[in-house]
Amino acid sequence: MKPETAEKLKKHFLYPSTIWVSAEPYEITTILGSCVAVCLFDHKLSIGGINHYMLPLWNGSGLASPKYGNIAIEKLYEKLIIYGCKNDNITAKIFGGAEIIEKKTMNYNIGAQNIEIALEILQTMRIPILSSSLGGNLGRKIIFNTATGEVRQFYVSRS
Amino acid sequence: MDILKKQKKKAKKAVKTPDCISCDEISQLKDALKNVNKKLIEAEQIKSNFISNISNELLNPFTSIIALARSILEVKKENWKKVISMVSLIHSEAFNLDFQFKNIIAAAKVEAGETYPEISDVEIIGLVTDVVDGFKYEAKKKDLHIKYYFTGEINSDSYYFRTDAEKIRLIISNLLSNAIKFSYNNGSIIIETCVKNKLLIITVQDFGTGISEQNQKIIFDRFQRSDSGISSAVRGHGLGLSINKAFIDMLHGTISVKTAARKGATFTVTLPYSEDISEGITLDGNELLFK
Repeated sequence: MKPETAEKLKKHFLYPSTIWVSAEPYEITTILGSCVAVCLFDHKLSIGGINHYMLPLWNGSGLASPKYGNIAIEKLYEKLIIYGCKNDNITAKIFGGAEIIEKKTMNYNIGAQNIEIALEILQTMRIPILSSSLGGNLGRKIIFNTATGEVRQFYVSRS
Repeated sequence: MDILKKQKKKAKKAVKTPDCISCDEISQLKDALKNVNKKLIEAEQIKSNFISNISNELLNPFTSIIALARSILEVKKENWKKVISMVSLIHSEAFNLDFQFKNIIAAAKVEAGETYPEISDVEIIGLVTDVVDGFKYEAKKKDLHIKYYFTGEINSDSYYFRTDAEKIRLIISNLLSNAIKFSYNNGSIIIETCVKNKLLIITVQDFGTGISEQNQKIIFDRFQRSDSGISSAVRGHGLGLSINKAFIDMLHGTISVKTAARKGATFTVTLPYSEDISEGITLDGNELLFK
């Protein structure tokens, strides 16, 4: 993509627990720690969508929001299908799941669980994962181009 | 023929002692399936309760509004007192309907992942006063007195705090609506709004029925009401507190409740001053491209 075209792209900042799908080209930015973002892209229609979830599974309490991986991935997929995308044409990229909080204070690693649920669900949906940047102990800033499926990633740290 | 017999024997053996899954695993899977089944039945029950609640919540006010409006059309010119009392009922029904719709739309948006923090400098005194004013006729129906005051760093006529105005408006509305619903007649409700160390603390206290220990665990769950069923004297859909929880999570705040049966409930919401999300973040290393 030429730089001048990239500049014209509409921009959106994706907050945690939200989903974005658009037929119009957008540049979506989000910042991930232990959260995970799944980017789905239909290469035939050039339509992409992204989610940003914080916890792996909805346990039935509270609203069934995309704060939870199982809900967020399913809803993102459903939205792409509504836009006319076909399962066979959808591919995925996954980011995040870092272990930001020290292990000593946590009983379990949320980042790792967030990654696991994405891999599990995408495998069940038979959606191939083209690339990923997962785990580690650094946060990530990712910029997803919904029209090309490309993702630019920077590692980030809290100052 | 012998080959066929051998194959049958082999097949029988395979069924009796499958080498891919042990009896322990089968029993574990059975238990897991039973649990899932139990949860599905519970979910279905909650859903059907919600549907019957919501049908009443939406249909009853419309029926009342239409009937009252028709009665007003038939009132004789000199009978203004009757008109005023009917108009106040129409207002009450329409107010409740509007409130229910706002909650249903808010819940649907949260569940669709389409709710974003909309941060601006919010004038806190005006916002709280406005919400309380909106509920004054509802409070009047039960002769409730709503006292509200501001403490901490809020010491002038106007005070600005960086947060999401519409979400706070619905959060306070839901707490106040519950406080009114569960208060005894002729009681009072106290709302304290305090700003301290970049934290906005809103406390809504009522002196009503309170919440049992068992119900305290489920009040933030969707479609759950501390007293469910169509015959319940208290109206509601069981969405308010689950919406509050989702909004408060989104604004990185907390919500807690202190309550005792027949003594009332005090809900405390604490919200931090909203900073720009990218503040304090530094990029570390080069850009990586994932094609």
